[in-house]
Amino acid sequence: MSSLANALISPGPSSASADRPEMGRLALVIGIRAGRSVAVQQFHQGALRVLRPHYLDGSGQVCYVMVNPGGAYLGADLYVVDVEVEAGASLLLTTQSATKIYRTPGSYAEQRMTVTLGEGAELELAPDQLIAYREASYRQNTHITVHPTSSLIMAEVITPGWSPDGASFKYRELRLRNEIHVEGDDDAALLALDNLLIRPSLGDVTSMGFMEGYSHLGSLIVVDPRVDQALADELHRLIAGYEAYSGLSLTRTLAGTTGLVLRSLSNSTEELNRLLGACTGLLRERWSGRAPLNLRKY
Amino acid sequence: MSAYQLALQQLTDSALPTGAFAHSLGFETYIDRGLVHDEASFGTWLSAFISQQLTYSDGLAIRFLYEGFDLAGLDAHLSAQLLPRQLREASTKMGGRLIEIGTEVFASAELEAYRTLVTTGRAAGHQPLAFAVVARSLGVPFEEALAAYLFAAVTSLTQNAVRAIPLGQNSGQRILRKAHDDVAAAVEHVRHLSWDDFGAVSAGLEISQMRHEWQRARMFMS
Repeated sequence: MSSLANALISPGPSSASADRPEMGRLALVIGIRAGRSVAVQQFHQGALRVLRPHYLDGSGQVCYVMVNPGGAYLGADLYVVDVEVEAGASLLLTTQSATKIYRTPGSYAEQRMTVTLGEGAELELAPDQLIAYREASYRQNTHITVHPTSSLIMAEVITPGWSPDGASFKYRELRLRNEIHVEGDDDAALLALDNLLIRPSLGDVTSMGFMEGYSHLGSLIVVDPRVDQALADELHRLIAGYEAYSGLSLTRTLAGTTGLVLRSLSNSTEELNRLLGACTGLLRERWSGRAPLNLRKY
Repeated sequence: MSAYQLALQQLTDSALPTGAFAHSLGFETYIDRGLVHDEASFGTWLSAFISQQLTYSDGLAIRFLYEGFDLAGLDAHLSAQLLPRQLREASTKMGGRLIEIGTEVFASAELEAYRTLVTTGRAAGHQPLAFAVVARSLGVPFEEALAAYLFAAVTSLTQNAVRAIPLGQNSGQRILRKAHDDVAAAVEHVRHLSWDDFGAVSAGLEISQMRHEWQRARMFMS
């Protein structure tokens, strides 16, 4: 499927209006050439682009860094990202800096991302944290289709931005919705729907059942045919060594592949990054002999 | 008396053998952490559970079924969005029992169709959908069905909390009376949500449901 055609399809059912101004668009197709993963198609428009690719190790995995030169998402902004990793190719996609959502009067800011992974393709999505400031509303819709043999690792940290009175949770609403489909013989089946909604404007989100007194949230989603209960048990032992309040569980198995979802609450971005980094480090080492990520961005 | 009244009472009676007595749906983790330990603290958890899990997942599933959404598609969405494994298994265990019981006593073409989807591996058979299929076939109006389902879930959970914490029987009744307002608010809330809201979770409830898998001393399966 051509990535540009794919990008025109809205990622899943969304109530977003089609006429909000598109502030940035990025499309990237990664293929494999002479044993190395390279961009075989690349397109950007507006306030989204990627830096020159680099290779962190000898594994052939290409690393792209997404940049938003505007630096922040504002009200009614729409950003569209479309990524395809072709059979056998491997992509690490990260960001240059935190994604900041400022006041969004009128309407929420939105990012729509479509991801397609081919046979044996690998994608690691490792963006910097998302920071939602006072009176910010944001929706992130990510629609992912994997092949049963693909490997997907995505980590994300959400934090409240500074507000003048020093209190957390001054943002209005955050919605981060990930749909993960597995390609089958006839069509794609829904493996996991991760639909996170935090709405401080509707009451006390810090309490029991909600954020449990914490302000920062980390999530890790892994989809890979090698995911099993033994791995879940191992990651559970690993995260038990961190102060963050965490849990993880397996999705059902579809077409031979399984998902693992980890959630973690903390008051510190660094703590969550360490915990998520330990988990992805274990997977990188185990599955591809790669060293833990050290992006040296700062 | 409406034609479905007694049927609905039978269907939502806490003695209906779906195995609800075996599930805390995450509150046992809070008991283990010492955060749920009395009437007030269980009431706080229950209120969050009603306004989040029961509203965004179960309640919306029932509404979408009543609105004629594709049953197999809704079933697949529930399997995908109930990310904590024990929660997903609780939903399909109780759903499976509900389909069996319904087939015995409230048989309908719609329920038979759902049963066939489940027995042929094309659906998992989730509790709120099994309930909604039976309730709709009995002619129960949507809001009445939703309120009855929510209050039945609340009743089972409260009875389980009375045993587990433990609490006095009168304390359990006070909790149930207080839950009336939360259930009424949830029924109203479900009407105004959209497809994007389906399966929205709050992190705290979900983490507690996940952690239950590794909890050492457990009375409940979830």
